[in-house]
Amino acid sequence: MERGQRVWLFFCLLKRKYMWLFFLAPTVAVLISIVIFPLVFSLSLSFHDWNIIRAGGWSWTGIGNYRTILFQDSYFRSSFKVTLLYLAGTVPLQFGLGLVVALILHRITKKIIGFLRTALIIPTTMTPVVVGMIWRLMYNPDLGMLNYFLTLFRFPPVNWTGMPGTALPSVMMADIWEWTPFMALILLAGLQSLPQEPFEAGLVDGASPWQTFRYITLPLLSPVMLVALLIRLMDSFKTFDLIFVLTQGGPGMSTEILNYYTYRYGFKFFHLGYASALSWLLLVVVTIISIILIRILHSRGIYAERA
Amino acid sequence: MNEVVRAKVKKIIFLLIAAVIFGVILFPPVVLFLTSIKTELDALSFPPKWIFKPTLDNYTEIFEFSPFARYLLNSFIVASLNTGVVLVLGSFAAYSLARFRFKGADDIAFWILSVRMMPPVAAIIPIYIIMRNLRLLDTPWSLVITYLTFNLPFAVWMMRSFFREIPREIEESALVDGCSIFRSFRSIALPLVAPGLAATGILTFIFSWNEFLFALILTGSKAVTLPVGITGYMKETGINWGYMTAGGALALIPVIVFTILAQKHLVKGLTMGALK
Repeated sequence: MERGQRVWLFFCLLKRKYMWLFFLAPTVAVLISIVIFPLVFSLSLSFHDWNIIRAGGWSWTGIGNYRTILFQDSYFRSSFKVTLLYLAGTVPLQFGLGLVVALILHRITKKIIGFLRTALIIPTTMTPVVVGMIWRLMYNPDLGMLNYFLTLFRFPPVNWTGMPGTALPSVMMADIWEWTPFMALILLAGLQSLPQEPFEAGLVDGASPWQTFRYITLPLLSPVMLVALLIRLMDSFKTFDLIFVLTQGGPGMSTEILNYYTYRYGFKFFHLGYASALSWLLLVVVTIISIILIRILHSRGIYAERA
Repeated sequence: MNEVVRAKVKKIIFLLIAAVIFGVILFPPVVLFLTSIKTELDALSFPPKWIFKPTLDNYTEIFEFSPFARYLLNSFIVASLNTGVVLVLGSFAAYSLARFRFKGADDIAFWILSVRMMPPVAAIIPIYIIMRNLRLLDTPWSLVITYLTFNLPFAVWMMRSFFREIPREIEESALVDGCSIFRSFRSIALPLVAPGLAATGILTFIFSWNEFLFALILTGSKAVTLPVGITGYMKETGINWGYMTAGGALALIPVIVFTILAQKHLVKGLTMGALK
């Protein structure tokens, strides 16, 4: 080989070896500056007291904010309880209903499945604020459809989002309407990607539909189910738009989940230090769920290359 | 014979159940649309009127008597610019993660995925302060930048899975002739993933279009986007049902059109590539 050619080859190999850095660096730089840097900033803010509309700068409080939140703030406790209720009342129901819908649609002829899938996708991609508006319209005590149906069947009208007892279930019902189709869509995609052989074998062995479901479908589908559940669980912590439009956290604090509570502390009361501490607690919880999710995705090889 | 009849009955029952499911899904948006084409008197009547004279007054009025056109324009500017930046940066990064073998590639990919999962409320306080100091509050730029926090990781993951589907040999054979990796990226890999790029762009656009929390906090008047603008029709003093429903219906049009266009790739997008 000539010297020149060898030098060229050397540089070419060098380029190939390090080119990935040039392709990747801009994205990593952007994410560090708009995500990591702000998060570090808010972590440091969470150890301070700072009210943005009052004069005066940051004053160091150490872990004071966290201590107040965890041991003294009764509103936090109530909001924590609302969050748990909200998660418990939405995610399992969305999952159960979504599974039923997916199993039904899986048995329907392929011809209309394209149309059905589109219909399922629409609530999921719909602007969440508009979903809130739609349900505000449905729930309105004076002119809403729900009270109209109640009166049709001679039930007394309900002040859906206006009473502490019914407000949270009302928001949950809107959430279930919005996200059950998403669950169904994922589970349906999961069902459609299952291998056929186990089902054929089950048929040959004379398995009943229940046995087929219990011993073939369920185990095969379980990774997809887990992914769907975790994605929904994580997103449920972030519910904001629906609550903002339907109830603004009220009446009282009956629909104020942690996410909303944090927002109110920061941007209604302007206690940015305290709100940062709250947001870090939320971040820790969501990060734990996301680590579990990522571990599962990693180990089960769901993200493995599938041609 | 009996078997055939039973199978038919079963099929009909399933179709009926499916019809009920779709009734439940489609009924609420239909009510929104119907209310938007009612006069105020018809909209406020109870029991709801099913037969009425439709009117487009609400649609013309939101343009005339409220800054709806500006909301629309702002949303469009923010979503398009954000999508443009996301597609360029995202496809570069995705190509790197899908094509080059280097230590830590998987860790970086999963780190990027975890960024996507961050609750926005955790980032909004520092981002608000930073934007205030940069004097970017109430400008489209603040949103174009902020929306990168969730859309860029999304695009990287989507595009990464599309790039991985291209057989490596196609590109390697091209690389033999020369040394320009950039050229093989641009003229071989990118055209091959064009449909994936389009789907990623459409979903990115929808996510920007729909975003509410950041827009609520980072904009005030000039840069208000659609979701924030239309919540302005709901005031403490009362809701303007006509404006609210007309604005909501208009906000949904691009979303529904784009959803139908990209529906083949939606499941992949919504599960971050876990499923097709």
